[in-house]
Amino acid sequence: MQLLKVHRTFPKLKQLITRRYAQALQREQDEYTDQPIYPPILDMTSKGKKKRERERTRENIKNINTVEEKQIALNMPRYYGWECVMLTEDSVPYNAMPMVQHYTRTHFKPVDSLPDVYQDSSSMADTVVQEIKSAIEDCIVIENEGIQRKITTVLNKNAEAQRENAQARNIVKQINRIITNNLSDKVSHILSSQVDYDPRHEAFWFVGGVDIPPKVFFGRRKKGWPKEAALEPVNRPVQYLGIPLLTLRNHLPLKPVIPYSECENPEFKVAQFSTLPKSVGYSADFRHGTNIPGFWPGDFDEFGLISYHGRGHMLARPESFGTEDNLEALHCQAMKTSFGWLLAQANYQGFTTYNDLTYPLVTQTVITNGNLISFYVYQLNTISMHNDDLDNPKHNICMGTKPMNLYDTIENGKVKGLNDDVLKMLVQFYLNAPEEREHDMKPYLGKEEQFVADIEDDNKRSWLESTYKHLMSNRPKHKLLPETYLWERIYKIEHNTRFFEAKRRPFELGTNPFIRRLDDHLPPYIPKALRPYPRCRKKFETTYYPKV
Amino acid sequence: MKLTKVLCRQHIDFMFKRHWIIQGKRVPINLGIEKYLKEKGIPVQDALEFVKEEPPQREKVKIVGPYEMPLPLDENHPNYKERPCLTLKHTNVLLEGISQAQVLTKTIISEDKLPHRIEELAELPAPKSVHEGVKKAILSANIFDCEQKKLPKIKDPERPAYNFPRILGITDKRKNEILTNKLLHIIEKSNDSEVTLSKYVVNDIETNSIFDKEGDLIQFQDVSNILVTSNKPLKHELNETDVSYIDIPDMYPVKHTVTLPPEHFYNDNSFYPIQRSVPMKHPHTTWLHFNRTEVSNIFETPVTPSQILGRSLTHAFTIASSYAKQLYGEDVKDLPDPVHINCIQTDGQRFHFGVFELNTLNVDGTDGIKNVWYCKNDMKLYDSSRYLNGMPVLENYNPKVYGYINAFYNC
Repeated sequence: MQLLKVHRTFPKLKQLITRRYAQALQREQDEYTDQPIYPPILDMTSKGKKKRERERTRENIKNINTVEEKQIALNMPRYYGWECVMLTEDSVPYNAMPMVQHYTRTHFKPVDSLPDVYQDSSSMADTVVQEIKSAIEDCIVIENEGIQRKITTVLNKNAEAQRENAQARNIVKQINRIITNNLSDKVSHILSSQVDYDPRHEAFWFVGGVDIPPKVFFGRRKKGWPKEAALEPVNRPVQYLGIPLLTLRNHLPLKPVIPYSECENPEFKVAQFSTLPKSVGYSADFRHGTNIPGFWPGDFDEFGLISYHGRGHMLARPESFGTEDNLEALHCQAMKTSFGWLLAQANYQGFTTYNDLTYPLVTQTVITNGNLISFYVYQLNTISMHNDDLDNPKHNICMGTKPMNLYDTIENGKVKGLNDDVLKMLVQFYLNAPEEREHDMKPYLGKEEQFVADIEDDNKRSWLESTYKHLMSNRPKHKLLPETYLWERIYKIEHNTRFFEAKRRPFELGTNPFIRRLDDHLPPYIPKALRPYPRCRKKFETTYYPKV
Repeated sequence: MKLTKVLCRQHIDFMFKRHWIIQGKRVPINLGIEKYLKEKGIPVQDALEFVKEEPPQREKVKIVGPYEMPLPLDENHPNYKERPCLTLKHTNVLLEGISQAQVLTKTIISEDKLPHRIEELAELPAPKSVHEGVKKAILSANIFDCEQKKLPKIKDPERPAYNFPRILGITDKRKNEILTNKLLHIIEKSNDSEVTLSKYVVNDIETNSIFDKEGDLIQFQDVSNILVTSNKPLKHELNETDVSYIDIPDMYPVKHTVTLPPEHFYNDNSFYPIQRSVPMKHPHTTWLHFNRTEVSNIFETPVTPSQILGRSLTHAFTIASSYAKQLYGEDVKDLPDPVHINCIQTDGQRFHFGVFELNTLNVDGTDGIKNVWYCKNDMKLYDSSRYLNGMPVLENYNPKVYGYINAFYNC
């Protein structure tokens, strides 16, 4: 204890000693230049200041070293989570194409055959198709007629759709097994790839250029904003959720389908869709933004090759939507799933919705019910579509085919009319080899620290890991969300009958309880018995929230 | 609080209840009004004449709901049988574990001894890339998968009322699914395509085997989490002489049907899910998951290692016997050709390997032809694989296990 006291007094002693030999630093000789250098002229209006603040936040997120911290940083402004527009894989409302295209910034190109990149593997695919053809026919027959299974369905979803997806899952597993087994000694990337069944795909991003809800408009007007300013759009947080039937991933990314410079082509421009998502059939939910491509950061195989998706939800669509809209619904599903998966992958490379990609990423998507198959190739060029980046010239490209029949019918235990061309396209997806890129894949991540697991400080590492998993789980809060009770609305807001009471509720104080930062809470208390030494004054545990 | 305080408490509801009871038992007192009225010449009518009859019961309207309701489990159910069937499901275990399984299936055991061919194949070294793949699979199953579901409650026996925070993570079901499927995928990829083309892999199929044993009807209902089938029946050359077998034990005073709950709703026939017409219908290797959250005793005692081993044997018997019955008919007893099947049980870390030889379906008594179970139990694939202080860790990977799995696939 004695020693400690000495330590505390030492800095004070230091101040008492006069600094006799100290002198001012020498002034710089070349203080004057030939040309006057002025500091940059900054926009000092409140708008300009706010814009600079947002830019600073983006820059801060960019400078964070690890993937997990960046994800926490995206969620820092909201304690209760963002009010996200929920995009799910298996529900497509009527006429969804314009909105999905704007939200994913995707130009859709309908095609009948695969793009030119796949030409090289054409001859090899032909031989492979001949080799596996009979096995594929067998597996289709066995899965449809040869095995009796009990498919259990849940009540909250369409039973028909669930049954079709279960059947598709079984067939996809067999087809994937046959093709990978055949190709594993022909091409090297198949052996090193990992297969995931029912992985969790989630993606989170901000979309700008969407109208504001009336509630926000009137709120702004109440605060005295001029009408033009009150109408300015806000960033809409968007969350995608999906579960593919099966995915393949590798440690190398696929080659781009079109050159990266081509993505600024004005032909690919997508029309803005500013209508409120609520009014076209999408719901909103409070949740922390999550970016998950089916594995946690740190897994070696970070880049997706192929993902298979079911199309059971098509059975739940009303007939009145028509065939054309059904086809568009498939395209929408493909765009959402491909964009969602690639965005999550891009996030693991250190990019976020605020820090745009510096190179393209590609994935291949197959939507099937076991017989009808449609193929999509998606190239992700940009993930930045927030309000400050509305004139971003880059666009994403999706090329897709119509659904095609893999076979005509099954008669007497034999498959009739197996479509070789469809099978060939599928094999070509597998043959498309990923390649090592020459540029830096993770420019915005640290050199030594790329994941939380690389951090040396034990406490910081454990804290960040558990906080990250806690946020990503979106488990319900221990305490209920803040709420204005109905009696309060009647007796306090609409009729001021309780004027004598102390004003403590958020609506009385004029605050919005939902605008609360993630770190705006008391850290966990350390009981005295657990403190490092007696008389330790540190009452609360350290938190390691990223500073943005 | 003193007891008197409760008893002395005034409670208006108590008074109300008493009041109703008392008023409900009221005896009508003859006030002599009837006599008085008759004297006056006023007619008196019986009150009961005016009491209305109960309305006739209406027929119930059949409402078409959003889904079909399951049939009520009563005597009219199509599967109802008078004779109870003692049922072992895949979520239940036998009380006496492996020895009860031996008695039920009339099996002798050769412990720690697999057929020569498998032992030879298991010695073959695998390339390094394959072991890398296996390590990736272990990490993916235990660490890198993104499932976040509620794990079982943590209990501290020292302070059983303490509530620990509920941990979200990868459930044991999913862990096992990922690990076994990836292992099988790696094995198939590293094998020749001719070998893989002769095999077929199905997930989560239900098998049902029903048989008589000493007057009791017994059925095993099992789920094979992965069933590898092949285009020709699996054959092991099992003419080993230096094997010492564990004979069928006497379990007295425990009866062999203990902890098999009787069931009245069952099918009379055994059921093998792959149909006769399928060329690749012959069972080769079956993978069984031991999910600690799903499998339990019917009483609340924890599952013992012996009971886990017993599961392997009953599982292999279920598949082999249902297949044999599909092949030779429901009433077959001694098989003309023995049926062989490989079985791998795992809880994600420990692997139990077994080869089952089904010689007879006549499981009465302990004499005559018996079935044989060769097993090698408790091989650890790794010691631990988890997040340790925020870092993914895989400790003590054991490459031998892969050798055995590969040998089982290739034999």
